[in-house]
Amino acid sequence: MSVVDRVRAETGAGWRSFVRRRTAVFFTFFFPVILIVIFGALVRTDPTGEGLFTEPPAYYVPGYLAVVVLFTPLSRLGSEVARHREGNRFEKLATTPLTRGEWLLAQTVVNAVIIGLASLLILALVVILTGAEIAFSPLLVPYVLVGVVCFCGVGTMLGSYTDSRDGAVAASNAIGLPLLFLSETFVSLEQLPGWFEPLVNLSPLTYFARGVRAATYPDAGTPAVAGVDPALANLAILTALAIAAFALGARSIPRTD
Amino acid sequence: MDTPVVAEGLEKRYGETVALSGVTLSVERGEVFALIGPNGAGKTTLVRALTGTTEPDAGTARVLEAEPTAVDRDRLGVLPQAFSPPGRLTARELLAYYAGLYAEHRDPEDVLADVGLADAGETWYEDLSGGQQRRVCVGTTLVNDPGVLFLDEPTTGIDPAGRRTVWRLIEALAEAGTTVFLTTHDMAEAERLADRVGLLAGGDLVARGTPEDLVAEHAGSSRLEIETTAEPSAFEDLAFPVAARGEEVIVRGVSPADIGAVVDYLDARDLEYSGLSWSEPDLEDVYLALADETELERTNRTDRTGETLAHTGETA
Repeated sequence: MSVVDRVRAETGAGWRSFVRRRTAVFFTFFFPVILIVIFGALVRTDPTGEGLFTEPPAYYVPGYLAVVVLFTPLSRLGSEVARHREGNRFEKLATTPLTRGEWLLAQTVVNAVIIGLASLLILALVVILTGAEIAFSPLLVPYVLVGVVCFCGVGTMLGSYTDSRDGAVAASNAIGLPLLFLSETFVSLEQLPGWFEPLVNLSPLTYFARGVRAATYPDAGTPAVAGVDPALANLAILTALAIAAFALGARSIPRTD
Repeated sequence: MDTPVVAEGLEKRYGETVALSGVTLSVERGEVFALIGPNGAGKTTLVRALTGTTEPDAGTARVLEAEPTAVDRDRLGVLPQAFSPPGRLTARELLAYYAGLYAEHRDPEDVLADVGLADAGETWYEDLSGGQQRRVCVGTTLVNDPGVLFLDEPTTGIDPAGRRTVWRLIEALAEAGTTVFLTTHDMAEAERLADRVGLLAGGDLVARGTPEDLVAEHAGSSRLEIETTAEPSAFEDLAFPVAARGEEVIVRGVSPADIGAVVDYLDARDLEYSGLSWSEPDLEDVYLALADETELERTNRTDRTGETLAHTGETA
């Protein structure tokens, strides 16, 4: 039995478990939709005004995508790890050939499919409801995938280091909300105090937002990184962070009591 | 490899609590070893130390000639105590899922039939009864046809018929050469299945041996239980040691041939009684003799029924 077969078995079980929790499926798709409706269609952007939402609609595409790329893995992996711990499933899996990395890879595949579908829905709604004019760059695919890998790793750590499912969900919200709004998604760097910039640069979501913006909305003028095209450079940075997050996440999964 | 499970001087502490204090044991190939003991005695910790899911503070363990964390997992089957697999997979899907994790595995349909759930294969795990759920969990340990099987309280919550199904499975596995290490609170289960029994109390393996040897060494003599409201002092002249417990008088060391003499004694003194039952000593008596003291200290009680014994002979 190869790694592929083990990951396939785990992915199949994870996928069925997810799609049979209808409430979870519904809100995974409903949450970003409601955000787009509120901010994109009701509040609407005002490029001539001041304050929030003063950029053209296309500027906020990374933010809307980040809602699922960030929140879904954080909350799903956090609660899934906690659920596994409560049911002694990791104790069982530790005695099978499945490794921690394979388990996390399988969960990441499940999340990638869910988030990929949700991202397509978001892009369609953003274009239809807000009239955003975006470039459909093929780089969107690796950005979403690498972002999912990164935040699946972070979500796994949250589930591993909190002591309950409630704790994992609370921690994912506590970490997810500041990241969502302070990573150049909905709030540009110019609107934040100067001293805050180093903190923004610490967030993996910042590189997702900058890169997706560079790929989908070239007019935003996303700066190059060390002379490299920002769409590619930010993907490289995000990939490095994702590899680290995945490795740390897999390592954090408990195998012993 | 005739000794697939070996532990030497295993120690484990959780803060001030001693879970294992120098446990040494070995289990031979094809042997069923049952670990009994009170709650908190260290049974689950010992299983975890042997399966590599906890690290002992001292001592060594080897399973299939390897350290527990390095053992060939394709040959290992483990049922954790409070194991709960994903609830929204069917019994069939769960067995197929766990089978898919092993290099070689049995047909999940066969395993489903083995645990007596062929008719419940399409039911979500969370919709199965508690006993059916436990049988699915047992099934997940059998999908890879393991060489060594660790079962932590495998039949908890299973009805008597289902329990016998699991017992027959374990017996068949052992006959085929699988080494089985199980923990249980069911003395009948240990007595029926185990080639050897170990009694763990306070982290120590205080006794081990075949059920027959343990009973002979520790269980004391046979007992005749008399349901009566008569005062214990009325039995002073009986030629056997007697103890009272509630509305029962327990006469020790009575052989079947002596029962008539006891009945004659009751009749001669007009001592009314509503029932008599005689029993050979069994593993439960061993348990009570060796482990009950720990339990009594823990619960600050004087006997297992919560009532004080009125001694006229020996303690019941």
